[in-house]
Amino acid sequence: MTPRTPRDKPDILSALASPVGKKALTGVTGLAWAGFVILHMAGNLSYFGAGEAYNEYAHKLLSLGPLLYAAEILLVVCLLIHAVLGVNIYLGKRRARKRGYDVYRSAGRPGMQSPSSRSMILTGVVLLVFLVIHIKSFKFGPGIAEGYSLLAEGEQIRDLKRLVTEKFQHPLYAFGYTGVMILLGFHLRHGAWSALQSLGAMNRRLAPLVYGIAAALAVGVAVGFVALPLYIYFSAL
Amino acid sequence: MAQTMTIHFKIWRQSGPDAKGKLVDYTLDNLNEDMSFLEALDVLNEALIHKGEEDPVEFDNDCREGICGSCGLVVGGIAHGPMKATAVCQLHMRHYKDGDTIVVEPFRAEAFPIIKDLVVDRSAFDRIIAAGGYVSVDTGGAPDANSLPVPKNDVDEAFDFATCIGCGACVASCPNASASLFTGAKIAHLAHLPQGQAERKQRVVRMVDQMQAEGFGDCSNHGECEAVCPKQISIAAIAKMRREYLRAVFG
Amino acid sequence: MTLEAHVPSGPLAEKWQHYLDKAKLVNPANKRKHEILVVGTGLAGGSAAASLAELGYRVKVFCIQDSPRRAHSIAAQGGINAAKNYPNDGDTVWRLFYDTVKGGDYRAREANVHRLAAISNQIIDQCVAQGVPFAREYGGLLDNRSFGGAQVSRTFYARGQTGQQLLLGAYQALERQVQAGGVEMFPRREMLELVVVDGAARGIVVRNLVTGELERHAGDAVLLCTGGYGNVYFLSTNAKNSNVTAAWRCHRKGAFFANPCYTQIHPTCIPVSGKYQSKLTLMSESLRNDGRVWVPGTAGDARAPGTIPQAERDYYLERRYPGFGNLVPRDVASRAAKVICDDGFGVGATGQAVYLDFADAIGRLGESRVRERYGNLFEMYERITGENPYRAPMRIYPAVHYTMGGLWVDYRLMSSIPGLFVLGEANFSDHGANRLGASALMQGLADGYFIISSTLGDYIASGGGSGEVRASEAAFDEAANAAEDRIRRMLHVDGSKTVTEFHRELGQIMWDYVGMSRNREGLLHAIDAIADLRADYWENVSVPGRKDALNKNLEFAGRVADFLELGELMARDALHREESCGAHFREEYQTPEGEALRRDDAYAYVAAWESTENAAEPVLHKEALSFEAVDLSTRSYK
Repeated sequence: MTPRTPRDKPDILSALASPVGKKALTGVTGLAWAGFVILHMAGNLSYFGAGEAYNEYAHKLLSLGPLLYAAEILLVVCLLIHAVLGVNIYLGKRRARKRGYDVYRSAGRPGMQSPSSRSMILTGVVLLVFLVIHIKSFKFGPGIAEGYSLLAEGEQIRDLKRLVTEKFQHPLYAFGYTGVMILLGFHLRHGAWSALQSLGAMNRRLAPLVYGIAAALAVGVAVGFVALPLYIYFSAL
Repeated sequence: MAQTMTIHFKIWRQSGPDAKGKLVDYTLDNLNEDMSFLEALDVLNEALIHKGEEDPVEFDNDCREGICGSCGLVVGGIAHGPMKATAVCQLHMRHYKDGDTIVVEPFRAEAFPIIKDLVVDRSAFDRIIAAGGYVSVDTGGAPDANSLPVPKNDVDEAFDFATCIGCGACVASCPNASASLFTGAKIAHLAHLPQGQAERKQRVVRMVDQMQAEGFGDCSNHGECEAVCPKQISIAAIAKMRREYLRAVFG
Repeated sequence: MTLEAHVPSGPLAEKWQHYLDKAKLVNPANKRKHEILVVGTGLAGGSAAASLAELGYRVKVFCIQDSPRRAHSIAAQGGINAAKNYPNDGDTVWRLFYDTVKGGDYRAREANVHRLAAISNQIIDQCVAQGVPFAREYGGLLDNRSFGGAQVSRTFYARGQTGQQLLLGAYQALERQVQAGGVEMFPRREMLELVVVDGAARGIVVRNLVTGELERHAGDAVLLCTGGYGNVYFLSTNAKNSNVTAAWRCHRKGAFFANPCYTQIHPTCIPVSGKYQSKLTLMSESLRNDGRVWVPGTAGDARAPGTIPQAERDYYLERRYPGFGNLVPRDVASRAAKVICDDGFGVGATGQAVYLDFADAIGRLGESRVRERYGNLFEMYERITGENPYRAPMRIYPAVHYTMGGLWVDYRLMSSIPGLFVLGEANFSDHGANRLGASALMQGLADGYFIISSTLGDYIASGGGSGEVRASEAAFDEAANAAEDRIRRMLHVDGSKTVTEFHRELGQIMWDYVGMSRNREGLLHAIDAIADLRADYWENVSVPGRKDALNKNLEFAGRVADFLELGELMARDALHREESCGAHFREEYQTPEGEALRRDDAYAYVAAWESTENAAEPVLHKEALSFEAVDLSTRSYK
């Protein structure tokens, strides 16, 4: 093979399809979702708040109207890009080494290879499947029409808290959710750090620090999410 | 006198690029701890020649002092073996115990096709450099070397990346078989120096493009490359490459 | 035949300029019509190929490694000299020239050495422009250090990896030309024959080391940049694949081999640890700046070094050479180590080692300063020996490192075969009988970047390499058949000894009798022993495998076969040179204090050997060395 004819300034699409572009896009879309996940977690935790904080929060979100739709569309687009690139990178890796090693070990530090980094495709796919079920259960689950409603400040709003409470009293749902959230933690453990490295935001001093913060974030998010189902399940016993 | 040791090897044998290979067992009972790993393979090859039943094991090696980058074996599952900052030619048998079994495989990547046994074709690296890994100055006419001061820190940083020996362990160890550390190291070396500024943008675009064309995988930031690199080149090189690329495209 | 060196007229300092003024130029449009074959991609070959392609020549480049970046220049540690005088310590071109000529014990061609010194500054400029990360000071300017006992700081360096960084600079320039289409690269090729047509070098036959195919390449000139032949000693600091084959095949085709006996033995290497040893590792000479060399004062003293009191130690370099102490030139330091070990004072399991002790330096500077200066070398030492040099002194012993001899070339770097140019360590030209530290890199790059572009052009423009030559011509058939024939013979011997066993045996003979000190009796013995070993080789060698596949044993078999011829020539050269000069120490010719006794009246010449059918009868040609600018003094480091 001879070196290719140079393209000094690639058009935007081929730049995004380059090894750098793909990872940068994966990183940006991943970070968008990480941001969403943190907000979502904060929302979940309002369940523990006084009165109808949880339902009011949910209602406030819904009342954003077009803004919410825009955010949702953005998230869906990010998700699609993230997922497609993830699969693409995974398939590329399979192509780049068709025959693996008979014996393979990680050399350890300073490498950052971990169960988390090795399982991104797996945790990613599980999260995707979960997401579909999750949205079906809650976002498109029973609402005011089905009687899950209450009056708040003179307005009929959806009683999401009741739905959530009922769902998580079911062991399959409570523990299934818990399991998936732990996987989310794994995904974030590598993903959060990796996204910044992919965007070129790392240097030698910053990397270990950010790698540590990513771990804290992953644990924090996972704990934040599993608190709700476990609390509901066990307090109902 | 150094202790005599017995070592069991499982070595990848493959007679040609398209042949089917397999791990073959060999046992050597006359090794000692002061030998280098490659010297142990020399002992094996001498024994094979004397026996006359099988061709010696082919493996690339040259300087045997860790700088030429010729040698490259996956030893016990790790590119260049278990010692940090050590090319396999500088790995010594004292790090093994009498009776150990050591699996030896070639660097595996589609972009590094196997030529024979443990010898692979790493010319993809040359083509990545050819795509732009240089400063385009013809011989002659360079200004006085001290006409361009370069801050010490910049040059030290550049050196850390320039120290790459092109062995390919980064690719071999990468779960994705990515060449990002190799490519990034050269980009980072030149990007840290004023001499590299003029061609900064086109260099990164061309080299990344070539890297992709060679069929390496994409980098997923496992950082395994840094852990096996005989020169301990930091994956900061990869971050730098990405910064340079994004700057070239969007900047 | 008389050897015409083609040294330009005029005062020494103006000769090169004078040559450039008069050299014929090739019309730019015509350059692309000329194909140049460059063999080897070290500093000399890589820089030459890149520079010639930049000028517009079509260049084909061959190397035995899988990539041109791996040539053994990459392993040079210490640095590269240049007469920049940046530190303002009084260095000049003349001083660098003088030190180099004197260091070579007045056995180099004066005009070549002056040119080398004059070009040295341009090399640094060129390399810096390429982005070579030389060490710098905090102000951003280049740092220099004193090296190998020089009185001025003129050595530019890039940590302990100067050769690597310079080679990568040349390699990148080369790859740039590959991309631009000016260079066609042929890695994993070994040159096995030179093709001479009408008396001029017009092609080569190379073996494709992957397929085993013999490939023919025709060209208008051949540049041999194939390095030195230190591996004739089996153990050396050279890379495993370093060899003499390309140069030797040219020698057998008529190129004279000059001063083959001048072999540099480097004083600071890690000692041999066992019979299986495959190569020796150099520890940079810079270690002697702070390390003190000693042995126990009593022969056979087996106490641990730390337990031997100061009074019972012999700091023999400081004792014998109070002026320079531990910083005496390489040849002097090496020989002193050999003498002291031969007398039974050596240390370690084999008794073939001396201590290089940093305890004083650590006491004076602190461990962290020492680590800063030598950390990577200390790590390398520990990696290889398993011992920590911060705690116990290093054990070192001399090892074969560099060969000053090589194919004879004239001032234009052209061998005695027109059209065959020889660059870098492969030629004999600039270092005389001993090379100073940090001069090899300088020479390789001077030849490749700055000299060959003019002298090759001069040759081509003067009608050299004209007329079309086709690879199908009889001369190519003949060369290819000869190469094929040798390969077939080696494979068919089917004996009982491996190539490595022969090589090791040859190395032992060379080390014992053609090593650091030589005498008539030993050399005569070596000549016979090598001839016997060579005869045995062709009857008893066992070369496994096939010729039409990757077969490193077959490659080595060819190289050892050539070493077996070269070794004898080295011994003959050493025998005929009845004087001690530089690295060549004849025991019969020493002063009462045991120092080298040079005999300028009889031996101030280059010995250029012409090959004949009979290895025992090479023909000696002499190029007289006349010195206009310097007085021949006796080196004294007392």
